[in-house]
Amino acid sequence: MTSGLRRLLRGAAAMAAAFMMVPHADAAGGTMRYAAVSEPAPLDMMLTTAGVSLVVGMHIFEALYTLDSHFEPQPMLAEGEKIEDGGKTIIIALRQGVHFHNGKEMTSEDVVASMNRWAKYGVRGKLLFVEGATVEASGKYEITIKLPQPNGAWKNLLGHLEGGAAIYPSEIADKATDQPIEQADYIGTGPYKFKEWRPNRYIEVERFDGYNARTEPGDGYAGKREALFDAIQFIPVPDVGTRVSGIQAGDYDYAETISGDLYDQLSADPSVAIRMSGAPLFGLFFTNSKEGILKDNYKLRQAIQMALGKDEMLRVSFGPEALWKAQGSIFPEGNFWYSTTGIEPYNQHDPVKAKALAAEAGYDGTPIRLLTSTNYQTHYDQATVAVKQLAEAGINVQLIVVDWATLLKMRAEPTQWDMFITHHGGPPDPILITFLNSGYPGWWASPEIEQLKKEFTGTADLNERKAVWEKIQTLFYQQVPAIKVGDAYSYDLMSPKLQGVGPQIFWPTFWNVSLK
Amino acid sequence: MWSFVLKRVMAMLVTLFFASIIIFGFIHLIPGDPIYVMLGDMATPDQAEKLRHSLGLDQPIIFQYLQWAGRALGGDLGRSIFYQAPVMSAIADGAETSLLLASITMIWILLIGVPIGIIAAMRHGSLLDQALSGAAMLLASVPTFWVGLYLILIFAAWLGWLPSSGYPSIFDDGGLANLRYLLLPSLTLAAPNAALILRLTRASMLDVSREDYVRTARAKGIRPWQVVTRHIFRNALLAVVSAFGFTFAALLSEAVVTETVFALPGIGRLVVQSILNRDYPVIQGIVLVVVVIYLVTNLIVDISYRLLDPRVQLQ
Repeated sequence: MTSGLRRLLRGAAAMAAAFMMVPHADAAGGTMRYAAVSEPAPLDMMLTTAGVSLVVGMHIFEALYTLDSHFEPQPMLAEGEKIEDGGKTIIIALRQGVHFHNGKEMTSEDVVASMNRWAKYGVRGKLLFVEGATVEASGKYEITIKLPQPNGAWKNLLGHLEGGAAIYPSEIADKATDQPIEQADYIGTGPYKFKEWRPNRYIEVERFDGYNARTEPGDGYAGKREALFDAIQFIPVPDVGTRVSGIQAGDYDYAETISGDLYDQLSADPSVAIRMSGAPLFGLFFTNSKEGILKDNYKLRQAIQMALGKDEMLRVSFGPEALWKAQGSIFPEGNFWYSTTGIEPYNQHDPVKAKALAAEAGYDGTPIRLLTSTNYQTHYDQATVAVKQLAEAGINVQLIVVDWATLLKMRAEPTQWDMFITHHGGPPDPILITFLNSGYPGWWASPEIEQLKKEFTGTADLNERKAVWEKIQTLFYQQVPAIKVGDAYSYDLMSPKLQGVGPQIFWPTFWNVSLK
Repeated sequence: MWSFVLKRVMAMLVTLFFASIIIFGFIHLIPGDPIYVMLGDMATPDQAEKLRHSLGLDQPIIFQYLQWAGRALGGDLGRSIFYQAPVMSAIADGAETSLLLASITMIWILLIGVPIGIIAAMRHGSLLDQALSGAAMLLASVPTFWVGLYLILIFAAWLGWLPSSGYPSIFDDGGLANLRYLLLPSLTLAAPNAALILRLTRASMLDVSREDYVRTARAKGIRPWQVVTRHIFRNALLAVVSAFGFTFAALLSEAVVTETVFALPGIGRLVVQSILNRDYPVIQGIVLVVVVIYLVTNLIVDISYRLLDPRVQLQ
């Protein structure tokens, strides 16, 4: 063999080796690769409640409070608070020496500007900043919130980033309107900062060297946050089979939302680790309180509730029993708000009684329009089971199947539907649940619930609030503004080399996490 | 020739105009809008209305069309509602993946489909021919997502030779070596198409080999392989070339299943994601670009006809 040929062959072998090499996160630092179901909506935390956006945004943005592993609010950008005037005045001291990703120090000016933008345009801003509520700076590192009535949920509202009060620099918050902020303005105080978003490729965040961590030990989202990776890439990988193979092949370190049918197989696979979600999602069949056959007709709603069997719905839509629980309390066991008061009607599955109730309600066989989408397979599966179970009780259903964007548009119009299907994550405070928002499609605003809501937010005493919550749950099963399907525990898949991943709160976060 | 090209380009512009109206009209006929997708589950109708207004989506549809068409004429396809970035840059980024994927796939098709098609035609009726045609039928019938998932399982998860999914640009770290990300997807995409080209090559080779001039050539004592290459193949190529043109254009727009399975940032997935998000400017931009690609490919195919067969008149 000539030396030239040998050199050529050696070069070719080296190139082949380079071809075969798959990049990996290094032990220290490195890039973590997160396989997401889809691309997120714009990362304006105040405006979005989309899950994928929250997963990315949690690393970039922070709020005054956040939740610990017991779902209790703990200070994050706040130092502490003083309550005066029977709960109508809240004085919050801010941490000093906290910097934004653009280098500017956070002061009360930024917090007030952010609160004002959230109050005006934020998805959940109006829950705290009702008519007459104000926020102002009462020092360089102190703000004062004044409320016309005490609001027992205030700390939870300020500590939940989903559609919540993320703190932006004042110059960004001041100019922000009802439109999502621009990518150049993705500037927060979190341990990672926004680097770039390449459509359909990835969103990358990188370590923020100027991060000033809290000193308490990390607990849930609270306490010390330390960015151990150099960068994290959030990569849209829509196919669940590819997300799984990608973890097995070592191309991804973490993959979200794996389907139930793979659970048994993956539990036995030593090359991957399963991470169960900490808070279940629960399916909801909303009923229309504004228009149509179900408006004010509580008897007919109760008939529908009576006809439905939740075990069957959950088994069909989620598979293995480890992944679901048919229980009627709105909040899961172990949660402070868990209660079995009033839940008897939850899982009756009694077509005979349902038929009798429907007759009492004067039901004449008119089809009930049930709106669902195929984007969420579980919604569609549940709808299919419901149609069959309701038919057994003589209740006719017209199933309207559309895509998710169409459903969102249609459900905003009261004349288009009688019931629609969605799901809900357990929020930190019951007041954040969608069916308690009378502006949310379904529009539950009976005098009884409006009175109970006033009582519920009118006090800061937790035991009093719990007692009112039990009354609300009872009313939920009597007036049936929505029907709870049951708790579903989704699960994610990760590389066994990932260490420091604590119990899941709502969305996975990767500070204090590294690769072995 | 040039007057032909000019005429065809003029006709293309007219087609494009009507296509643009159809694109715009149909997209806005789909119910749903981007507002709720952006704002999420909790948005109130009031917030939605405000955002719809500031995005200009509450204006009359004719007005929206004229605005869009006017800007598109100047090469500006607008801004993506979702990505908050110019549509052009989103398409350009996706086009890199799609063009490379389609090109590599075409190489596979060329390397597999054409030679095997010729062999099958030459051994017409033999056991080899039957085996090859059978294999082609099988490849053409197996769904691409199935082939894709098995290739990932074998070459990425078990053997660890190739990455399972994704594609970092060749302009990023890694350079040309990043093309390895496209090996499995291009094979997946090539499988059914190579099978079709194989069958087409075989069929048109057989057609041509029954022509009188082939018999004459054989009678004159020309060597068999020369008959195949000079007389049969060259004439059989005509049908194959036009199929090539359409296959390439189709690969650009129809690779969406493969792109989804392999998580590739291509045009196909961009358009599907944008439809789900109701990101009108992106959908309109992509469909417009695809229409242009189809028209241009058609033109190139017509011109190459002339180059392959001087009898074809370009009128």
